[in-house]
Amino acid sequence: MEWYEPRDFKEWAKRLFAIRHLVLILFILGVFISELRFDWFEQTVGSYLVTTNSKRPESGAIWEIGHRTIMARQTLDQIVTDRQFLQREARGATTFTQMALNILPNKGIMVSSERFKKIYLTLPQTIAHKIASPFEMLRLFSDGSWVRTYLEKAGDGLKIYLLNANNRVLKELEIPSDLIQYIKRIDMALTGKLEELPSFENRIYSAERFFAALSSLPQEDLRSVVSQPEMLLSMPGHIVRVGISDEAVSGFIELGFEIEDGTQRKVILLQGREWAVWALRSYLEEKEGEPNTNLKSQNDWM
Amino acid sequence: MTHVAIIIRMLRILFYAALALSSFAALAGIGMFFVAVKDLPRVPEPLSRIIETPPTEIYAATGEKIMVIGGRESVPLSRVSQYFIQAVIATEDHRFWEHHGIDKLRTLKALWITFFKPGKVQGASTITQQLSKNLFFSFKRRYMRKFRELLVALQIESQYSKREILEAYINQIPFGVGAHGIEQGARTFFGKPASELTLAESALLAGLPKSPTRYNPYIHYDRAKKRQRVVLLRMVAVGYITQAMADRASYAKLNLQRLPARARTGSYFLDIVVKSLEERYGPNVVHHGGLKVTTTIDPQLESQAIKSLQKGLIELEKMMGIHTKTIESSGEKVVRPQGALVAVETNSGAIKALVGGRDYSETEYNRAVESKRLPGSGFKPFLYYTALEKLDINPATVFIDQPVTIPVIGAKNWSPRNFGLKYEGPMILKRALMNSVNSIAAQLVERTGPEEVIRTAHRCGIKSHLEPVYSVALGTSGVSPLEMASSFGTFATGGVRHEPFFISRVEDALGRVLEEHIVSGKRSLDASLVYQVVDMMRGVVDEGTGSIVRRLGFDLPAAGKTGTTDGYYDAWFTGFTPTLSASVWVGYDKGEGLWDTQGNGITGGRGAAPIWADFMIKATEGEPHREFAIPSDIRFENVDPITGYKANDSTLNPVRIALREGQKVYENIFQDETLNDSTILSPLWGP
Repeated sequence: MEWYEPRDFKEWAKRLFAIRHLVLILFILGVFISELRFDWFEQTVGSYLVTTNSKRPESGAIWEIGHRTIMARQTLDQIVTDRQFLQREARGATTFTQMALNILPNKGIMVSSERFKKIYLTLPQTIAHKIASPFEMLRLFSDGSWVRTYLEKAGDGLKIYLLNANNRVLKELEIPSDLIQYIKRIDMALTGKLEELPSFENRIYSAERFFAALSSLPQEDLRSVVSQPEMLLSMPGHIVRVGISDEAVSGFIELGFEIEDGTQRKVILLQGREWAVWALRSYLEEKEGEPNTNLKSQNDWM
Repeated sequence: MTHVAIIIRMLRILFYAALALSSFAALAGIGMFFVAVKDLPRVPEPLSRIIETPPTEIYAATGEKIMVIGGRESVPLSRVSQYFIQAVIATEDHRFWEHHGIDKLRTLKALWITFFKPGKVQGASTITQQLSKNLFFSFKRRYMRKFRELLVALQIESQYSKREILEAYINQIPFGVGAHGIEQGARTFFGKPASELTLAESALLAGLPKSPTRYNPYIHYDRAKKRQRVVLLRMVAVGYITQAMADRASYAKLNLQRLPARARTGSYFLDIVVKSLEERYGPNVVHHGGLKVTTTIDPQLESQAIKSLQKGLIELEKMMGIHTKTIESSGEKVVRPQGALVAVETNSGAIKALVGGRDYSETEYNRAVESKRLPGSGFKPFLYYTALEKLDINPATVFIDQPVTIPVIGAKNWSPRNFGLKYEGPMILKRALMNSVNSIAAQLVERTGPEEVIRTAHRCGIKSHLEPVYSVALGTSGVSPLEMASSFGTFATGGVRHEPFFISRVEDALGRVLEEHIVSGKRSLDASLVYQVVDMMRGVVDEGTGSIVRRLGFDLPAAGKTGTTDGYYDAWFTGFTPTLSASVWVGYDKGEGLWDTQGNGITGGRGAAPIWADFMIKATEGEPHREFAIPSDIRFENVDPITGYKANDSTLNPVRIALREGQKVYENIFQDETLNDSTILSPLWGP
């Protein structure tokens, strides 16, 4: 409807104070004043946003920092977990080989001096002497300065650092790769029979014949042939055959003891001093002629 | 139509237009709201989670924390000075306790200024809005960004109490110089916890977030004080303090702490530590992983090294006629000589001090590690060891100091000259090293071959590539001061080499060990031969080219060697006691030699040795007199420095030399004869 000018004062007043005008003005004023007083608009928007919060993206500077922190923690956790795994394995190792197998390139392991001493004592004397003099170990151990031992790969070999409390090296031991291989073979009870090891196939004797020959050697030479009879004794099952290797390494000859444990056969490797093993071998060969290389089973000799 | 009617008609049109516009604006606002809400960032719960980033902390060997990277130190409001809280509220948002995230009056005023006063932009951000911006948004001025920032502020206000918001805010505001949050700020600037801040300190800190660089009190103290005054007046205006309190605080003296290294390392040593950590673990782990790193640095020695180097360089400039004050006052851009100093613990390889330049704030180029400078005669100890090892000679063997020319296959003959072009005729080997005689060094390298000298240097720990030419014995292949200090350490330990290192242990935030350094020494050189070289090098310090060390008052047993290159481009002194090996280099970064005002070249003895002496005097303060270990097959004889004969009562200035088993010196049976070549009985190596 087109607006037209009121004709008199009454109409002016009527129009000015019309209900709908007053309501409109009061409404607008009410909205403004209540907003200024109670911040209802901000509160409504804020409350709405709170309800959508969990569905919104984790974006923005602080979240980025948070994500980077999480990633950094994960990286560190991985490093620590790897390290702790290796340490745990090393601490749980009962043989030198188990310990050595846990050492990866650029990831050495730290064990206590106590732990290393125990592992050292599991080695055959001859090997242990090659690694370190027991007297030197005794000296370091008794004066209390040797606290920890760090083992790390050095090429195919191993480096062992005996450390004091300040991580200073008291003694550095080097184990060349051939010695490690040798220790591994000694440590490991190989599943199978002696014939499966080529170095023994020419000289395999029944346990009875071997130990009979051994007992005829002078008492003081016995340990030169079998350095750790206690270890053999501790093995479950019984020895059925013994093989003598054709090869001599650094003054030692390998002996293989085939053990029957239930239905399983396994071979334990030990080292004997070359001269003592030679003496035993000649005794075995003199007494019985040529060794029987056609043995197929223990029953042939039992 | 009357005028009134016309006006009313106009107003009516305007009213409906405004109504339509408002409706349109409201609709647009709603649309914008839903657009903005779509990718609005999530607000963390609880809000304090924002400050849970663990800092990487770097410690000195003494246990002192020397650097913090990243991280936030959060404190509850109850542990923050009330003055600071009031100062922040008065300055940033005085209606903070009343509004709901937006200060409408200030916003309207700001909008008015922004739209109707061209060129002026008025900010009206509340503390909540600032928190929202700092946590989630970039600092680019965009209307949509501002709108989103406002929406997040509204959500924060709905979700958290005012105290929680204020606590989060004060724990993340940047104060500059790498300090974030009030606790770090209080400790960085005033060396105290946030709870102990005074009114003056609180006002200064509260003024910084506006522009941490512009109001940095370390650089712009006056500006920072003016800003502090503004904050104090705001506090008065809001009614937190009286005018008298503001005046007192305004005049109070501020005890600003020495600026510690944060974020930007501020130190050459920390640079190599952070770089190495980043290489090993990646930047993300270093900056956000919360590592605990123990380094080898001794803060006292490091501080002394900086002082000694700076003092020495100022002395050097005086010698050269460069007047520092004139340069500073005129603002003239003058290239000034640089220097580096490295100190290594001999029996471990631990770096105890490392300074890579005169001022880190001027240049971050680390001359102690990255710079490969020619060591000059500083390289001769490697030659002398090689000669003693390969040739049948001893420190009393006589050589003739005279011009020499060594033929080089396929190249020009090599004719090294002595410094000063003076030749003194016959002299024993020890004196040749003490006086750094080039002609005799040339004779030695001719016989040993350069490859053997290089092999010795590498055995001692020099890692840089060395050219297999005769002149390598006179130091013509570049090496770093760190290599020199570390390799001379091998002499100090009787031939046992220790790899230099600067990180001894790294742990994660939970204290789990990530790595630890094992101090392992490896015998690289023969102990007796080393002792003979060390004994000769002691002669350098006691009576030879490095004797300024003694004149300056360093009196502990020490050995060393000066080095100066052609054109006086480099001046070196590397020396050691049985426990500490230090190397000092001075020179220009490029293209200029060191010359004094008389036109004389500045040698290692004049330029570098005084710095070494000044440093070592302080570094070894209180240390007992400790001799170098003497191998059992070493014995001493006094000999004539010219003939090499055993000294007797008539010998002038006899020199004590160290001999190994089987080595001997001869009696002079021609005592009354004048010395000539035929009278010398010791093995003679002439050119």
